[in-house]
Amino acid sequence: MPDDAATFRMLISQFTDFLTVAIHTVLYERNIYPQTSFLSARKYNFAVRQSRHPKVCEWINDAVAAVETELLKGNVERVAVVVYNKGLKPTERFLFDVSRFPPVSFTDVDTPLERKDSGGKIVPILPLIDIEEQFRATMSKLANCGTVLKPAPVGGTFTVAIELKGDGQAPISHPQPWMPVEPILDKDTANMSQKRAHPIRAVAAGDLIFESWIEEAREAD
Amino acid sequence: MGSRLEQKSTLVRKRIEGHTFDAEDGDEYEGSKFGGFSEYFRRKKIKLQNLDAQVRAQSTDKPKIFKGLVCHINGYTQPSLNDLHTLIVQYGGGFIQYLDGKTMVTHIIASNLTPKKKEEFKRYRIVKPAWVVDSIDVGKLLPWENYRVVDEGANQKVLGFANGTMTSQVNRNTHRYKEQSDASWYTGQLKAQDAEKSSVSSRPASFAQTVTPDEEIDEDEYPMPEITSSVERALAEDDLDDDEPMLEAVEASANLLEVRTELETPPPSSPPPAQHIQDTEDVMAQQNTEMTLPETSAFRPREGSQEPDYSMAVVRDSEALRAVSPSRLASMTAEEHNALLLSDPKIRKSTVVNPEFLDQYYRESRLHHLSTWKADLKAQLQAVAAEKSSSQKQKLKKLPGQRRYIMHVDFDSFFAAVSLKNYPQHKDKPCVVAHGNGSGSEIASCNYAAREFGVKNGMWMKRAQELCPEIKILPYDFPAYEAASRKFYEAILATEGVVQSVSIDEALVDISALCFAESGTDGVQRHEGGVFREQRKADEIAQNMRDEVLAKTGCNVSVGIGGNILQAKLALRKAKPAGQHQLRPEEVLDFIGILEVEKLPGVAWSTSSKLEEIGVKLVKDIREQTKERLINTLGPKTGEKLWEYSRGIDRVEVGEQVVRKSVSAEVNWGVRFENHEQVDEFLQGLCGELTKRLLKEGVKGRQLNLKVMRRAADAPRDPPKHLGHGKCDTHNKGIQLGVATNDTAVITKEVITMMRSLNISPGELRGIGVQMQKLDPIRAGMQDPGSQRRLQFKTGQAIKPLHERQISEAKSAGDPIQDDIKTPEKQRRVDFGKPSLPVQVVDPGTPTKRMLNTLGTQFVLPTQVDPAVLAELPEDIRAKLARHLTSNELEKGFENVRSEEEDTRPARSLGFVATALPNQSQLDPSILDSLPEDVRNEVLGFYKSPGGRKRGEQALLPQSPRKNRTLQTTKQPVKRKRGGGLFAGRARSNLHNSDISTLTQANFVARPMSKHLHDDAGTTTEDNTEGEADEVDPEFLAALPEDMRQEVLAQQRNARLARTGGIDLSLHQRSKAKQKKKLFDEEGPLDRLLQLPPRPDKPTFTTGKLSELADLRGAVKAWYEEFSDEGPYDEDVKALSRYLHDVVVDERDISKAVAVVKYMVCLLDEHGQTTQTVQKAWETALDHIKEDVQTACHERGM
Repeated sequence: MPDDAATFRMLISQFTDFLTVAIHTVLYERNIYPQTSFLSARKYNFAVRQSRHPKVCEWINDAVAAVETELLKGNVERVAVVVYNKGLKPTERFLFDVSRFPPVSFTDVDTPLERKDSGGKIVPILPLIDIEEQFRATMSKLANCGTVLKPAPVGGTFTVAIELKGDGQAPISHPQPWMPVEPILDKDTANMSQKRAHPIRAVAAGDLIFESWIEEAREAD
Repeated sequence: MGSRLEQKSTLVRKRIEGHTFDAEDGDEYEGSKFGGFSEYFRRKKIKLQNLDAQVRAQSTDKPKIFKGLVCHINGYTQPSLNDLHTLIVQYGGGFIQYLDGKTMVTHIIASNLTPKKKEEFKRYRIVKPAWVVDSIDVGKLLPWENYRVVDEGANQKVLGFANGTMTSQVNRNTHRYKEQSDASWYTGQLKAQDAEKSSVSSRPASFAQTVTPDEEIDEDEYPMPEITSSVERALAEDDLDDDEPMLEAVEASANLLEVRTELETPPPSSPPPAQHIQDTEDVMAQQNTEMTLPETSAFRPREGSQEPDYSMAVVRDSEALRAVSPSRLASMTAEEHNALLLSDPKIRKSTVVNPEFLDQYYRESRLHHLSTWKADLKAQLQAVAAEKSSSQKQKLKKLPGQRRYIMHVDFDSFFAAVSLKNYPQHKDKPCVVAHGNGSGSEIASCNYAAREFGVKNGMWMKRAQELCPEIKILPYDFPAYEAASRKFYEAILATEGVVQSVSIDEALVDISALCFAESGTDGVQRHEGGVFREQRKADEIAQNMRDEVLAKTGCNVSVGIGGNILQAKLALRKAKPAGQHQLRPEEVLDFIGILEVEKLPGVAWSTSSKLEEIGVKLVKDIREQTKERLINTLGPKTGEKLWEYSRGIDRVEVGEQVVRKSVSAEVNWGVRFENHEQVDEFLQGLCGELTKRLLKEGVKGRQLNLKVMRRAADAPRDPPKHLGHGKCDTHNKGIQLGVATNDTAVITKEVITMMRSLNISPGELRGIGVQMQKLDPIRAGMQDPGSQRRLQFKTGQAIKPLHERQISEAKSAGDPIQDDIKTPEKQRRVDFGKPSLPVQVVDPGTPTKRMLNTLGTQFVLPTQVDPAVLAELPEDIRAKLARHLTSNELEKGFENVRSEEEDTRPARSLGFVATALPNQSQLDPSILDSLPEDVRNEVLGFYKSPGGRKRGEQALLPQSPRKNRTLQTTKQPVKRKRGGGLFAGRARSNLHNSDISTLTQANFVARPMSKHLHDDAGTTTEDNTEGEADEVDPEFLAALPEDMRQEVLAQQRNARLARTGGIDLSLHQRSKAKQKKKLFDEEGPLDRLLQLPPRPDKPTFTTGKLSELADLRGAVKAWYEEFSDEGPYDEDVKALSRYLHDVVVDERDISKAVAVVKYMVCLLDEHGQTTQTVQKAWETALDHIKEDVQTACHERGM
C-alpha cells in the first residue's frame, strides 16, 4: 500500500478488525457459546473461529463500531473484553492497551500520516506485512490462552469495555452506547491480590502499537 | 511445420528407399520366439516393405511422382486402402501401415477424421484420397493444400492464387457427410459407367474425385489483370507480354458490352452539360432504332425517381480513361484509378465525392424510394388501421376454442395492375413494371399474362426478354400507386374488422366478430347452421370488399379466408388471381398437406433443403416427423413453427405489431473515393442521414454498426454495373455506445474511428452502411432523454456564419459548371469528429499517404489568398472570406508555426492548448530558421509585444470556461486548425489514451481545453509561475536539482494520467483545486501530511542499547555465565530490574519483561549445579527482579 494513503482512520480500522476477530476467538476459547456454533475461518492467514449466530455477530459488530468511534476520538486507554462467570462475576479480562496509538485529533482522522525516523527517512505508518504477521502471532497466543488460564467458566457471559484516558470525555451523549461505571480508585488494595496477568503480546508495527494481556481473577474463595 | 515433420519422415523415407528385397531369405522370415512380439512386429513391417519394394520394382513404367513421400492411410477411403496403397507404391511413394508416430510420414491420407483426431492432426498434412488419384491423373504431384481434410475452420479467410494474381476465396466448409457418398470415387465410377455404358477403366486413376479448386476460383466477370502491390507491379512488368493479349481481350469484351448497354438520361434534377446531352441523344437514337416497340414514347425508360445511373458506355467514353493506356490502367493503385475515373466531371457528379450525392442518392434512388415510400405509406396506413380497430379490439375477447375468420387481402400484381390502367391496350399482353428496358433493370411487378411466360418479380430484364421477347415495359407511377393503396385501405377499413397492414397492397383483417354477430354465437358454441352462416358471412364480406376495391381502383384483389393468418395466406394462393377462397376448418389438413413445404410462409430454399434431407417434401410429411426431430434439424424456433404450421396452427394474432429493431443508412452505389478526407466527409453525411432516420423513428440507439464493402481482391476495378459495388468483401464492425444517442456528431466520430481501424484504402471502398441497433424510444416531453443526463451548454454564437460559409462553399464545390474542381476540393477537410483513436494508416502503396491529414479540419483557409481567385468569387462569399481573413490572418500564421512545431515534438504537444501560443523558449530554433523571413519576424515580434500572447488567446477563446466547453460538441471548423483540433491532443497523445476512448468520455472530457483554462487562469491572475505549472519550462526544469526534476516530471505525468482517465464533469471547478495541488507539488508534498511526533525512545539495557528480546536473552545469559560461580553484583541486578520496569511501564511490553524473567528462571534451573550460596544469590536476584516487574505491573494497574 502506498505510504501516503495511510490515515489514522485506516490504522484504527486495522485495529478494530483485529478486535473483532479477537472477540470471536475469546468467545470460542472461553466457551461463552457452544463451540459448535462457530465456523472455522481464516484471518491473518491463521485459522480463527467465527460465531455464526447472526445476533452474536451483530452485537460484536455494534460493540466494535462503538469502540471505533471512541478510538477515533483518541480518548481510549484500554479496550477490554470481560468474561463473567455464571454469577456475573468477572473472571477474566482480555485487555488491549491502545494508549500508544499516535495522538491524532479528530479533525485529522483522514489526513495522511507520515513519520520520519531520526535519520530523516520516511518510515511506513502501516506496514501491512508486519501488521499481518504480528496480528497472526497475537492471534495464536490468544487462541492458546486456554493453556495458561483456568478452565473456562460454565454458563458465563461477556462484554466489551473501554477505559478512557484521564482527560478523555466520557461518551455519554445520546445515543449512549456505553454504560459508565465507577472507577476503582484504590487500585493497589482492591486488585493486587485478586488477579493475575498473563501477557499475550505487544504489537508494534509501524505506528500501530498496542499491548495485550489477560487478567485473570484469583479464586475468591 | 517443416522441420518437425521433415526430420523423422526423412529418415523413414531414406530407409524405405534404401530397402531392397531379393529373396525370402532374410532374418525376417525366420520364426519368432515366444513372447517376442516386438521382434515379430518389426519383422512384419520389414516384410510389408519387402512387398512394397517388389511392387515398386515391377511398375517401372509408372512415373515416380510420389517419390520422396511417405504416406499412411487412416480410416475408410475411396478408393480403398489397398488400392491407394498400391497406387502410391507404384508411383514411387513410400507407405507405412503402422504409424509409430505422426512425424514418421509426410502425408496422412484420410477422407474424414473424428473430431478428436482432427484436433490431434491439425498441424500435419492430412490429405484426401482424391489427392492421390488426381495426382496420378494429371501425372504430377499436385499441391496437397487443395486437398486438406483439416483446415483452419470456416472463419479463416483463404487467399487464393490463380493465374499469378491474388484472389479472395471463400473458405467453404466441405465437411459434410454426403461429400464422401456424393463426390466419391466409386460414385464417380458408377456415374461414368452409366454415362458411357462402357466397362470400368482398368486404370482407376482416370476419374476425378472432386472438382479442383482452380475451377472454383475463376468466377470473376472480367479477366482483368489485378495488381495490387508494388512488388506485384514489378512482377507484372516482367510478364507484360502476357498481359497485352489479355487486355485486348478485355477491350473486345468491353466492346461487346457496349452494344448491350445503353445510355440513359441523367436525372432531371441535375441538368447535364450540353455535350453530354448530345451524347445521350445519340445513344438514345441508336437505341430507338434497336427497339422494336412502336410506342417508345409511352415507355420512357426513366422516371424522375430513379437513380442516376450511367452505363458502362460513359466510362468507356470518358476521355480521361481513354487517354490512359490499358497497361497503365492496370498498374494504377485503386486511388489513382478512382481519381482518374472521377476526373470526368460527369462521373464525379454521380459519385460520393459530390457533396450533394447523399441527398441526390436518397432523393433519386429508386430502391430507396420504393422502400421508404412503402414504409411511410405502411406506417400511415398502420396508424389509421390501428386507430380504427382499437375500439373493436376492446370488445373482441378471445375465448379458448373460438373459431376465427381471418382475411388476407392482396392486390393482384399491384404495380402492374395500377400502371396498366394508363395503358388499357396492354391489359391482356404480358407487361412488367420496371425502371427501364435495360438488361440490368429489375422487374418490380408483372401481370398474370407475363407470368405465364415464366416471368417473375425480381427477375432481371434480360432474362425476362429472353423468356418473352414481346414483353411490355411499364414505367413506375407512384402517385397512382399511392392513390390506389389509399382506396384499397379505405375499403378494407370499411369492413370494420381488425386490420393489420402488411404492405401497401396487402392487409390482414380479422373479421371474426362480424361473423359471430351474424350467427349470433360467441364463436365457441355450435348452433344449428351457425358455423355455416358465419362462413357465408365471411365470404360475403370478402366479396363486398373485392367489389368495392374493383369499383374504386379498377383493379382486382384476391382474398383468402382462414381460421388464422397461416390459413388465410394459404387460401389466398388458391384465390389468386382475382378470386377468393375460404379454407374451411375441415379442409385445412388436407389442403395444407398436399402443399410443398416451400409454400409455407417462412420456408425457403435453405429450410426446405434441410427438410429434404430428413425426407420431407410435402407438408403432410412434416406431420410424420416428431417435433423433436424437427427441432433438431431446424432449430427450436423454426422447428416448432413448422410443426405447428403443418397442422394448420398459427398463433400469431392479427394486429400484433413487429417492433423495429434497427435503423440504418447504407450506400453501395457510386462509392468511389480518392482520399481519406472524402471518406470522412461522406461518413459524416451518411451519419447525418442516419440521424435523420433515427429522429423520424423517434428512437435512439445504443449499438452502432459499420458495414463496409471492400472491392474483392479479384474483382475488376470497374464492376459490370456502372459505379456499382461489384464483387465485394464485406467487413462489419460494431461498437457499444453505452449511452443511447442519435447525435450526429457522436455517431460520426465513432464511425470514422471504426472506419480508420478497418484500415481500408479509400480507393477500395465500394459501399458503406451505418446501422443503429438496440433502440430506445425517445420519451415524449423530454428534451434530451438519454439514459444518461448531460450537461447543457449554450451554443457558441460564432458558429452560424461559418455554417453558412460551409454551405456556400459546398455549393460552389458541387457546381457542375466549375471546371477546376480541384481547388475547392483541396480546401475541404474533415469537418469534425476526430476519431478518439489515433489511427495510423499504414499503406505504403497509396499515394494518399502524404495527403492524409487525419487531424485536419474541413475548411482551412489559405493564409495567402490569391486575389485573382478572390475576385472571381461571388460577392457574399468574398465579403465573408475577407472579413474572416483579416481577423484571423495573424493567428493563422502562428497556428501554422505552432502546429509544425508540434509535429516535430509530439510528446510536448500533449500539454498544449489547442490555440495557445507556446512559450518562446519552446520554439524550436531550427523550425524558426526554416520559416520565411517575414513569418519569423512576425512570430518573434509577437513574443516581444507585451500583450501579444494574451491577445492571441483572447481572440480565439471565448471568455468563460463554459462557452469553451461547447466547442467540442459544436462544429467550429475554422477554429480548429491543422493539428489543432479539439481531440488533437488526444489523438496524437500517448497510447493509454486509446483504451479509454469510449463515447462518453470523449464527449465529456475536453482535456486540452481544461488545460488551457488552467493556463489561461494562470496568466490572467498574479502568479505567473503557476500558469506554467502544466507545461513546465525546460529551462526551469534544467535549473532544478535532479531529484526535484524527477519529482516534478512524475507529478506532471500523474496529473496527465489522472486527467485522461475518468469523466470529469467539473473541469472549471477543479482547475482551481488543481492549481493548489500544483503549488503543493512544487513545494513538496509535506504540507498535507500530518507529521507524527517522534516516539519516545525505547528503554535500553546496558551500554549496548539492547532492546530486542533475543539480544536481551543473550546479554542475560552472558551475564549469568560470567558470574555463575560467584553470584551477581547488586548493581547489575538493579540495572536489569530497572530496565524491565521501564519496559513494562514505558515500553508497555509486559510480555518482553516476563520473557526475560522466564529466561532467567530457565537459566537458573539449567545450571543449578553450582554451590548453594551462589545459587541462593542468583535466586534472590531473580526474586528481586520478579518483584520489580510485579511492581511495574501494579503501577500500570494490573
